[in-house]
Amino acid sequence: MIAVQDVHKWFGLLHVLKGIDLEIAQGEVLVLIGASGSGKSTLLRCINGLEKIQHGKIVVDEMDIHKSRTNLNKVRQEIGIVFQSFNLFPHMTVMKNITIGPTKVKRISPQESKEIAVQLLKRIGIPEKADFYPDQLSGGQQQRVAIARALAMKPKVMLFDEPTSALDPEMISEVLDLMRELASEKMTMVVVTHEMGFAREAANRIAFMADGQIAEIAPAEEFFKNPKDERTRRFIEKVLAV
Amino acid sequence: MAEMRVLGSSRLMKLALRALILVVLLALIIFGLYYLLSQSYPFRWNLAFNPKNLDAFNEGLLVTLQVSGLAMIGGALLGLLVALARLSPFAILRDMGMLYVQMLRNIPFLVFILFMYFGVSKVFSAGPTVPVPLLDIEIDSRIFWGVIALSLFEASFISEIFRAGIQAVHKTQIEAARSLGMSYVQSMQHVVLPQAFRMIIPPLTGELIALVKESALLMVISLEELTLTARQLVQQTPLNFEFYAILAAYYLAITLPLSFVSHLLERKLAIGKAR
Amino acid sequence: MIRFEKRSKSYLFAHYLWIVFRVLVAGAVLFGAIYLVFLGLGSNYTFHWEEAIQFLPFFNQGLLVTLQIAILGAILAVFLGIAVALLRLSPWGVVRDLAGAYVHTFRNLPFLVVLLLFFFGLGKAIKILPFEFLGQTYRPQFIWGVLALGVYESSYLGETFRAGIESVHKAQVEAARSLGMKYFQVLRYVVLPQAFRVILPPLTGTLIALIKESSLLYLISVQELTEAARQLAIPSRPYFFEFYTILACYYLAMVVPLSLLSNWLESRLGISRASKKVKDHG
Ligand SMILES: Nc1ncnc2c1ncn2[C@@H]1O[C@H](COP(=O)(O)OP(=O)(O)OP(=O)(O)O)[C@@H](O)[C@H]1O
Ligand SMILES: [Mg+2]
Repeated sequence: MIAVQDVHKWFGLLHVLKGIDLEIAQGEVLVLIGASGSGKSTLLRCINGLEKIQHGKIVVDEMDIHKSRTNLNKVRQEIGIVFQSFNLFPHMTVMKNITIGPTKVKRISPQESKEIAVQLLKRIGIPEKADFYPDQLSGGQQQRVAIARALAMKPKVMLFDEPTSALDPEMISEVLDLMRELASEKMTMVVVTHEMGFAREAANRIAFMADGQIAEIAPAEEFFKNPKDERTRRFIEKVLAV
Repeated sequence: MAEMRVLGSSRLMKLALRALILVVLLALIIFGLYYLLSQSYPFRWNLAFNPKNLDAFNEGLLVTLQVSGLAMIGGALLGLLVALARLSPFAILRDMGMLYVQMLRNIPFLVFILFMYFGVSKVFSAGPTVPVPLLDIEIDSRIFWGVIALSLFEASFISEIFRAGIQAVHKTQIEAARSLGMSYVQSMQHVVLPQAFRMIIPPLTGELIALVKESALLMVISLEELTLTARQLVQQTPLNFEFYAILAAYYLAITLPLSFVSHLLERKLAIGKAR
Repeated sequence: MIRFEKRSKSYLFAHYLWIVFRVLVAGAVLFGAIYLVFLGLGSNYTFHWEEAIQFLPFFNQGLLVTLQIAILGAILAVFLGIAVALLRLSPWGVVRDLAGAYVHTFRNLPFLVVLLLFFFGLGKAIKILPFEFLGQTYRPQFIWGVLALGVYESSYLGETFRAGIESVHKAQVEAARSLGMKYFQVLRYVVLPQAFRVILPPLTGTLIALIKESSLLYLISVQELTEAARQLAIPSRPYFFEFYTILACYYLAMVVPLSLLSNWLESRLGISRASKKVKDHG
């Protein structure tokens, strides 16, 4: 589903991604972990074309993301992304936030997109908040709306960039539950997170990034049981100690 | 319900009382100063408030409003162009926009109007009127150059307002829109501009106030707006204080409501507030 | 692929050089375009730069007066502005309202009108005699001009100071009060040092405005910079375009450094960054 081949990325003079290779199969959940600044967010942003790459190739669902002839807007309809800071549109109601993509981008009729939105709101458990504005919701609710907004486009792939790290502890589980549900429905997902519990249960494989490279990638159980890379081992010790 | 109404009315009472105290105090202070001044300066308000004089003021007011309105439109259009240039992906456009803004922001409008009317218009060897192509009319060259100068000058300020408004919409908002597959134009239309608009309107009203005030300087090119009218009246009858006080009242009558509106809009249009 | 690992000094130097080059090119294009418009639309106007430049000493005299006006006006404005800000923050509603009336009145008038009202209005009632100071005679025009400028700009500065003081979080004041500090101690040790960061950039902005407004003093025949150009531009010396261009350059030379300073202060003191952060969470 997603193929990343020898991707290099510079910010000005800063070499952030140093040759990333990655294959993610249809329906697979890949959890991406690593130290701060190791390039996890950058990798995700490259996958849906929010950042350009200077070398290498990224193919999602047979579309070469960084080829100049590729219609990025088309590609992005297939790839949903959920940000750490929600990034809901503050001047639109929850309903509008969810329907704006389907109506304006996919040109689905307002009626139909509204039905989609109602279904999604039910699913994320806040049907009564449709006419609220984002700043009237809790962080956990906002993040669930952000997920619904992405799902409304019926994407083939979902990317999550630390979706729970801006949330108060008591709201983390409501978002993770929703993500688990998605995983069990065989959505292809790439998740950057520090939630090791979630990684253990939901991930098919776990990749550890260090200094712009993938230091280790392995099935979830094996990853925790016997990490091969020295940096992975130290990282796991640290997060499990907490 | 009943309780709320009582609360509301008592708050209103308080506000009214405060306003009353303010008015009384202001009146006292002004009257005191007035009394002191009248010891050495004979006020003759009845002469100043001659209907003929007020008519002259009203005509001046009309010119001031016309020129300000035209210049605001011109300044806003040009300002938007400059703002887009300053946000464009081409370095040369950005730099040219920056130079334009920095140059005009940093000279006095007075100098600019002198430069335009006595300098630039002479280069074009302007007569007393300027022909407008296509429309087949002639415009008084003072109005023409006055409006041009005011528009060009204000564009440098207005462009900064536009730019700040567009930039204040956080980059993550564009990314969120783009990641839904919206095009550049769509994300501008549905996400960026609606948010920018709310931020732009209050300072734009503020700029309109500044513009009305700047228009007073057009008297130096003998455009008969409010201020020049007052000066001419003073030359006819030397009621300096009276005429200039009336002049001040006229300007306040334009600008105070505007500044009140600007203040209201600022509160009302705060982003993301539920209505 | 060859890339630097870090930002080296030579890279930075090249970077700045590149920016200067870019701005020069943009300037050349911009002025070239304007010049072409002149050629296209303009008549057979001949420029007389050499003649005009001979009058620079005359401009310099005007510049000296403008600087005096600006400095005196700024001092007056700062003191009045502080007073206004403190009144605006007073615990008594009436005092706040009175100070508010002062601020709103002056902010909503053109400076020209205030100047005319001061010199021709108040000036007729209150007589100021010319006096001599350090071998220079100051006429009433000069004094009224400085007064009008100081009072006018104080209405802007008052708001700047007030916003600065209010930007300091209430919790700071409470913490200071809980240590037993008195009103002025709180102001002096806790509020003002923090408010300063917020105040400094707009303060420079007001100084810029003050220099620009000072040009209006020529209308009451103060012999400042603009008046110098006006006196030069007479029919027997018809190089108006040149004189006024030189005049504009003088103001740019005074104001652009201040404007750059203001920008630098703003980025240096982290105002913009701080306010952005607030927005992030808002
Ligand atoms: N827009 C940008 N411009 C310049 N440098 C950037 C930009 N975005 C990220 N970087 C740099 O790239 C590196 C990788 O950043 P990235 O955000 O991908 O890390 P991360 O692994 O997601 O870290 P975190 O866990 O803190 O989110 C960092 O050193 C960061 O400073
Ligand atoms: Mg990150």
